[in-house]
Amino acid sequence: MTATATAKEENRPRKWQSIVPLAAGIIALIVLPLSLSSPNFIRLLFLTLLWVTTSIAWNLLGGFAGQVSFGFAVFYGVGAYTTALAINAKVNPFLAFLMGAVAAAIISVFLGLPTFRLRGPYFAIATIGISEAVRVVMTNIGFTGGASGYRILEARAFQQFEHYFTALGLALIALLVSAKIANAKFGLGLKAIRQDEDAAADVGVNPYTNKLAVHAIAAALTGAAGGVFARYAAFIHPNGVFGFQTGVHILLMPVIGGIGTVWGPVVGGFVFGIVEEEIVASFPQIHLLLYGSLLILIIMVEPGGILGGVRELIRRYRGRRKK
Amino acid sequence: MAGAKNSGPILKVVGLTRYFGGLAAVKDVTFDVPASHIFGIIGPNGAGKTTLFSMIAGALKPSEGKIVALGKETTGEPSHRLVKIGIARTHQIVRPFRALTVLENVQIGVYFGRKRITNAAAARDAALDVLRSVGIDNLAHQSSSILSVGQQKRLEIARALATDPELLLCDEICGGLTHSETGAMLQLLRKIRDAGTTVMYVEHDVKAITSVCDRIMVLNYGRKLAEGTPEEIQRDPAVIEAYLGTRATGGNRDQR
Repeated sequence: MTATATAKEENRPRKWQSIVPLAAGIIALIVLPLSLSSPNFIRLLFLTLLWVTTSIAWNLLGGFAGQVSFGFAVFYGVGAYTTALAINAKVNPFLAFLMGAVAAAIISVFLGLPTFRLRGPYFAIATIGISEAVRVVMTNIGFTGGASGYRILEARAFQQFEHYFTALGLALIALLVSAKIANAKFGLGLKAIRQDEDAAADVGVNPYTNKLAVHAIAAALTGAAGGVFARYAAFIHPNGVFGFQTGVHILLMPVIGGIGTVWGPVVGGFVFGIVEEEIVASFPQIHLLLYGSLLILIIMVEPGGILGGVRELIRRYRGRRKK
Repeated sequence: MAGAKNSGPILKVVGLTRYFGGLAAVKDVTFDVPASHIFGIIGPNGAGKTTLFSMIAGALKPSEGKIVALGKETTGEPSHRLVKIGIARTHQIVRPFRALTVLENVQIGVYFGRKRITNAAAARDAALDVLRSVGIDNLAHQSSSILSVGQQKRLEIARALATDPELLLCDEICGGLTHSETGAMLQLLRKIRDAGTTVMYVEHDVKAITSVCDRIMVLNYGRKLAEGTPEEIQRDPAVIEAYLGTRATGGNRDQR
């Protein structure tokens, strides 16, 4: 029993370590935009929160379960288009987001059924193919306007704060889901799958159904983010929401922040969301090249991302102090 | 043989066959594993032990034949479903989840096995109990990547036992262990049997298997060569021939 006692004691400070920055972060994210009330700054924070949501979602599948997908633009796009169609059909916007989430989750099951029979790089390659195929189909579908895009007409005045707090709420839901999964039976099963799929099956984890389940949850969160974006932008087009770039961005953030952790994707999402626009504006021709170089640099120097790097620094600092 | 009770078979294997291309790695093997026994399968290298083991453990689909375990047909069932029925395995080459602690490794077995525990604290306690029973509870909070071979083999057993199996399949659990570690491991297998779990144990080390098993089957060239108690097996001329070869007499050795 002494071992359980120490385990509980070990958990307690860790809980505090995440609750304090979480509360501070939420307060800052509520107070800052209200006090500054600069539309451009709020827009930047709004988009960043959507990126954070998709980053957390991707990490559920890519980080916890170790299934690297380049195809999350599919869910972002399906969520965006479903929400757009629903709002234009006079559905309540929040119900429309939910419909976007559900539609993305359903699509994820159909995509997962064949692709989760593949492992490692073969799965990743398949998701690239699917993502591009869906984008091409969407540029040629008539009723959503094809390549020229689709407009959302809402018979209400534009309220930036409503959009912003919707995005904040969604990001918090995503964080809560991620934290819950990380510490539960489901999360431990996913970690087992990431490390050794066959050994996981040998202790009773069904790799196939668990991957399908986490894929659906990740798709739902990504779809909802796509829906919130669509309502805000009021105009979406396949090369944007379904673009391969979107899928790469969603993958990049958790890798930057720290893959397989709860907080890494949050950090990565904020860093990426705030820096991204500046990078695109300053280096329009080579910004994708910069992302590629950044990805290689992170994997070579610190595979744990920003969070892994900071933890390593803290560990070294503490080690030195003890001496 | 204190724990060897005489109840019905827990595992029935009938006419099990597996071809690789045209080669039959296992051919028409039939046997029963009685409940509460340690049932050993031995054979020289290449006899088909691992192929047979893999089919029973759900890692390899048989070409022909039938497997019935705990009253259910399990032929070709994947391993995660076998765990739910009550069959767990260990690996010859250990496969811990290296990024997780020893306790977490075992906790996965508790969660996804037959104990139906979903509460984290209860799962940790159950996992600690299992670790204590195999004697590595002092390592619970260590990373599983730093264990010695002997400790890793015990972790393999702990993880399998955590799923609460009726039948434990052990693949060369003593491979790579020192003499004293082997003795302790065999003692652990006896303890598991006495606690009511049937053990099917595949090994090429004759000494280890004859000392611990209640009943032994011998494989040679993918076929069943003999079956019986350790004493019977050790006297069987066919078994002696398979392991030691026939007596070389006079000058006709080269002509054979």
